[in-house]
Amino acid sequence: MAPTLPSGDQASDQDNWDNGRLARKRQLLTEIVLRNRLTALVVDGDTTCRVLEQLLLRSYEVQTQGVDNGRDAVALIASGVKFNLIIIDMILPVLNGLEATRQIRDMGVHCKMLGVTACSGESERQAFLAAGVDVFIEKPLDPEHLVPILRELDGQ
Amino acid sequence: MDFVNQLQRKFIDYSSSLHREGIVDDQFTQLRKLEDENSPHFVMEVASLFFEDCEKLINNMAIALEQKQGVDFKQIDECIHQLKGSSSSIGALRVKNACIAFRSFSDGQNREGCLRCLQQLSHEYSLLKNKLQTLFRLEKQIVAAGGSIPRVH
Repeated sequence: MAPTLPSGDQASDQDNWDNGRLARKRQLLTEIVLRNRLTALVVDGDTTCRVLEQLLLRSYEVQTQGVDNGRDAVALIASGVKFNLIIIDMILPVLNGLEATRQIRDMGVHCKMLGVTACSGESERQAFLAAGVDVFIEKPLDPEHLVPILRELDGQ
Repeated sequence: MDFVNQLQRKFIDYSSSLHREGIVDDQFTQLRKLEDENSPHFVMEVASLFFEDCEKLINNMAIALEQKQGVDFKQIDECIHQLKGSSSSIGALRVKNACIAFRSFSDGQNREGCLRCLQQLSHEYSLLKNKLQTLFRLEKQIVAAGGSIPRVH
């Protein structure tokens, strides 16, 4: 087991107690063991974001696929491949996230869709929700947002 | 063993300084927690991807801002948006903040302001790259000396 050496900062007993409680609470919120095998599609034009989001999902044993533009996402769904969860960015090459989301919903796809984007404005949030995502998340996608959604999809 | 302890102490102190200076934030710490025996170096690998993309985007913005026939602020905006997303995802706090500041000048189509922001962004990126490469070198030294990478809280 990797050693944990003190950082050298002098924290009070109260600080240590509060930080420990916060860490434990966070641990409880972000730990999950899935009973079912879930699948997810990650649609992000940025390689760093796409790789990290897929890695985060895989750390919870969610089977993932990634595409880097909206057109390929729509084509994949249209081909009949089904996912429990779609994570989609707003700004995408070829076909943007708003239009891709609309087209996916127009196909009758009702799976959970998370709009995960660097956009943070209220107008962007409303536009993405109106297009059909269920949840709007400003990047980065983190366990605090993801785990409750995975619990819901897993029927926990 | 004493040499390994020294390296581990150096690693802990250096990691802490990256957080103290705002170079990286808690998101970076969370990514480190995802490393395991199956993917022990993935943060290093993803950082390399990020560096490549970052350099490309900074270069594209520099070219766009130099266009004599007029600056394509839409392209600038898309580059900033992408960089804001990837920097926040990897936990590069100061790069992310530089993007936020840049956005306001791009929205205002202020070329001079954008040039200043691009300079600041390039500086923050170079700082991040140098610091993370130093951190990863320390990791390799610890492993080569037979030690394990300490966890930093």
